[in-house]
Amino acid sequence: MKVKVVAQILEANDRIAAENKKLFKESGVYVINLMSAPGAGKTSLIERTIKELYKKLRIAVIEGDIAGTDDAQRIESLGIPAVQINTGGACHLDANMINEAIADVPLKDIDLLIIENVGNLVCPAEFKVGEDMKIMILSITEGDDKPLKYPLMFQESSALILNKIDLLPHINADLAKIKNNSLSLNPSLKIFEVSCKTGEGISEWTSWLQSLVA
Amino acid sequence: MHEVSIALGLLEFAAEYCKREGYKGIEAITVKIGKASGVMPEALHFAFEAVKVGTIAEKACLNIDEVPVSGFCSNCNKSFTVKQTYVLSCPICGKSSFRIETGQELNICEMEVF
Ligand SMILES: Nc1nc2c(ncn2[C@@H]2O[C@H](COP(=O)(O)OP(=O)(O)O)[C@@H](O)[C@H]2O)c(=O)[nH]1
Ligand SMILES: [Mg+2]
Ligand SMILES: [Zn+2]
Repeated sequence: MKVKVVAQILEANDRIAAENKKLFKESGVYVINLMSAPGAGKTSLIERTIKELYKKLRIAVIEGDIAGTDDAQRIESLGIPAVQINTGGACHLDANMINEAIADVPLKDIDLLIIENVGNLVCPAEFKVGEDMKIMILSITEGDDKPLKYPLMFQESSALILNKIDLLPHINADLAKIKNNSLSLNPSLKIFEVSCKTGEGISEWTSWLQSLVA
Repeated sequence: MHEVSIALGLLEFAAEYCKREGYKGIEAITVKIGKASGVMPEALHFAFEAVKVGTIAEKACLNIDEVPVSGFCSNCNKSFTVKQTYVLSCPICGKSSFRIETGQELNICEMEVF
């Protein structure tokens, strides 16, 4: 017998994401979901953001990685609570993983929760985890063809951080092309040019973030 | 690789549905997958075959309807369909006065149950 059904395949994930979001709201915590390819600078940006904002906001971090605890250790060494999720092969975080990690996050004592997703330009864009906004990082060394190759993440993100601009003199990257194509895909995308190495552009990003959290 | 998660989400929905409605098994599931959804049909087929083993959908086949990316331009007052996974400007008039209408689907639309 044939039956018609109308459902989102990721309905179960979206349901748990909504539960997470409700809990974050009730606790007064703003949540960002940070996505990028491996090595684009997610952990470096979190370190920079903490250094800039720790006197103004109480921050905690959830680190998603396929394996290992290196990134959580980098964050803890700054005196910030960090919870490591090992996805054991999965190339993205989902709402259930975050739901389980929340128990270890001191929600009552923080204003901002930063979630570092698994390094991947495709899959994380598909899964809500209960965040207030998705932020993506593209390092300029990855090539200016990325927006059109991976449009979904650019469309799902509220802000695009173009990282490693200290390397601009050494590589052939057409920043204008990256920005134009990104904005065509998502006209409301906020774009920041930063270097986590030199600190250039970081304060523009952190002021914007702080204005959303406060 | 997230096709495995998608396939698991699909099975979870199907199993819950059959339990609630009192069906014993599933012969086929039809899904609509948008071309801009980030899911590759071949990878989803492969993942589905792997994760269905031992579930209520063990013998089920998966039918995938691929949905192209389409939009509507308010300047031309016309709909359009493109081959790519993205639209930068209206393919008819070249303006950015368009909205995307299809292409991001990840939906279940039909099941054959017994
Ligand atoms: N030159 C340069 N290197 C950077 C910058 N940001 C990060 N890196 C380097 O890029 C590598 C990956 O950074 P990491 O933050 O671990 O990336 P993640 O995998 O996205 O978390 C490290 O070796 C960083 O030192 C930058 O702005 N400029
Ligand atoms: Mg990292
Ligand atoms: Zn037009």
